[in-house]
Amino acid sequence: MAGKPVRPVNAIDQTRRMLSLVTYLRERPGARIEDVARAFGITEDELVSDLDVLPMCGTSFRGGDLLDIDTDGERIWWHNPAALGAEAAEPLRLAADEATALLVAARAVATLPGLREGDRQALLRATAKVEAAAGEAAGASSRLSVTFESEGGVFADVDRAISERRRLWIRYYSPARDEVTEREIDPIRLVSVGHTYVEAWCRRSEARRTFRLDRVAEIKILDEPSAPPEIELRDLSEALVQPAAEDPEVVVEVGPGGRWVAEYYPHDSADELPDGGLRITLRTPDPASLRRLALRLGRDGRMVAPRELADSARRAACEALAAYGGVTDTADVAPRTCSADVAGVDDGGHPGQGGDPVDSQGAAGSPGHAAPEVRGVPAEPGGLDGRYDRQEQGL
Amino acid sequence: MAIAKAERLMNLALCLLGARRPLSKRELRDSIEAYVEASGSGRGATASDDSFNRMFERDKDDLRELGLVIETVESLDGEVGYLARRDSNRLPPITLDAEEAAALGLAAKVWQQARLAGAASGALQKLRAAGLPEDVDPYEAHGALEPRIPVHEAAFEPLMLACRDRRPVVFDYRKASAAHPETRHVEPWALECWRGHWYLAGFDRDRGAERVFRLSRITGRVRSRGAGFTAPVPDVVTVRETVASWAGEIADRSARIRLRSGAGYPLRAKATAVRELGGGWDELDIPYGHGLDAWLVEFGPDVVVLEPAELRADVVDRLRAVAKG
Repeated sequence: MAGKPVRPVNAIDQTRRMLSLVTYLRERPGARIEDVARAFGITEDELVSDLDVLPMCGTSFRGGDLLDIDTDGERIWWHNPAALGAEAAEPLRLAADEATALLVAARAVATLPGLREGDRQALLRATAKVEAAAGEAAGASSRLSVTFESEGGVFADVDRAISERRRLWIRYYSPARDEVTEREIDPIRLVSVGHTYVEAWCRRSEARRTFRLDRVAEIKILDEPSAPPEIELRDLSEALVQPAAEDPEVVVEVGPGGRWVAEYYPHDSADELPDGGLRITLRTPDPASLRRLALRLGRDGRMVAPRELADSARRAACEALAAYGGVTDTADVAPRTCSADVAGVDDGGHPGQGGDPVDSQGAAGSPGHAAPEVRGVPAEPGGLDGRYDRQEQGL
Repeated sequence: MAIAKAERLMNLALCLLGARRPLSKRELRDSIEAYVEASGSGRGATASDDSFNRMFERDKDDLRELGLVIETVESLDGEVGYLARRDSNRLPPITLDAEEAAALGLAAKVWQQARLAGAASGALQKLRAAGLPEDVDPYEAHGALEPRIPVHEAAFEPLMLACRDRRPVVFDYRKASAAHPETRHVEPWALECWRGHWYLAGFDRDRGAERVFRLSRITGRVRSRGAGFTAPVPDVVTVRETVASWAGEIADRSARIRLRSGAGYPLRAKATAVRELGGGWDELDIPYGHGLDAWLVEFGPDVVVLEPAELRADVVDRLRAVAKG
């Protein structure tokens, strides 16, 4: 299982925890450290640090006793539970932030299309009860929301294969190569970070791979048992892919309209350029896979290095333009820029040269929707593709 | 050595919760060790009063953040007293079965943002203290599912608090294609995470209209502004629909393209019709929404746009830009 996130000691969180702890311990004399830590979702060390503070606490204003709580390292003993009046030890109402954090998360998880129906029902029931118990503290939770994306059917099959420990056959789309390949995988776990992924042992490449569920074109649960080797599970919270130091370097310069590249691609550096653009340096095991990015960027950016990448994008563009050959307004560009590079490109199998003439009046402005501040969010940018498929490609 | 803050807060909370009558500031100051120590003996009375007062105010605010309802009561002789009434601080009865508990356990783990992760654990701990069933490992109960909500944007926490407290904010925002950021004055309504990115919806005071902002494009600090909202907050704030329409998810037209056999699986997956043309090509009808031109260009020579002419012109235009190098 994934390790617990390491949290710095935070006086607020610790106080919150200790207030619940006194209520909890009061009812359970001799509670085991191990059990209490698990119930509270904290490490035993964190619990022990709480147990160091609690004996310094009490309702001393009326000369009351400090809490006489100690531990023999295994169990926790409270020698004077009466030191805390019953009224001070009642479970406390939820704070607005607590209700928000729990309710928003619960509503988000309930939207996961592949969640087992029984679990979804349980979650919905629990959410309603927590809303009721939180009362007005639940109000602000509507100001935060999260949607997970995933393919329901694929999700359910992967989930079932994991719990039944069976191998999967998939047809998987790889955007970097624009191809669909078949492979057998032994699924290990499902991870939802924006999109939903299955981490698995790929039998074809004999390596760990991460597959994005919405790129699974077809899936079958096989009869063979799944037998992934024992591998250490990584913390995938920061990024699913961390570039390797030995990967070739790619340098791309983008104008203001291409700044989104820095949002979608993990990169080593992004330096501001005088025109409001960025010079971005990133690493990938397969620079050729970034041809898609070069094509998408168009006049919003250019590949500075490696040179072959820029050349291959240019060739692809020329080759593509050839299919629009009858178009007058490409004529001034295509022959001159393209002739040298196109040599050697196999353009067999092209559609005929005759295309429909372009109606240059047709280029209407953007529709007048409200909220243009997010304009420029790429539909499914090559960035995401490149980023996550690196893993699938062989990292 | 200074007494740890958690110990001080805990003592203040227990005193206020255990009190049967309002406690004056002086009573609290004299009975909580940390305050006695902080008030010191060597310095002048005024200085120590000030430092105690500041500390006491901060501590009360912190406890209120934790959900404690602390009342301020003025007695007949004008002295202010504090107390945390039992009936306003008690969690109403709540009974959850083992399945419901396991489901909440899974939900409480999804936040990757420190403040919300802490708050979600705190909520679960309060429910645990109130008898929430244990012993079910949420991972066991939910197979191998590990949902995570990513929060990488620095602007998230200040905006979350501003949405919660309905406080106007000011920040510098760089639009997707703008060279320089611009200062925006916003009444923040709601935050939404879609496809792993956070967006803010709110009322833009400069433009006098609703706007949606992407958090990763906020540069610099988010600053709070005093006073309240000037525009009404809609009952339902829909961030996702707005973003989705700009991300091309909402297509109101259709396009006809030629696609090389075997290529462009995602285009095929979205196609409403596919016809085999022979000679290694297929013809597809696909939804035409915002951003389709940029997407089609990614497929290079494997895609030829047939119609509409407007899309065809956009694609040719983009290809020409790349061909020029």
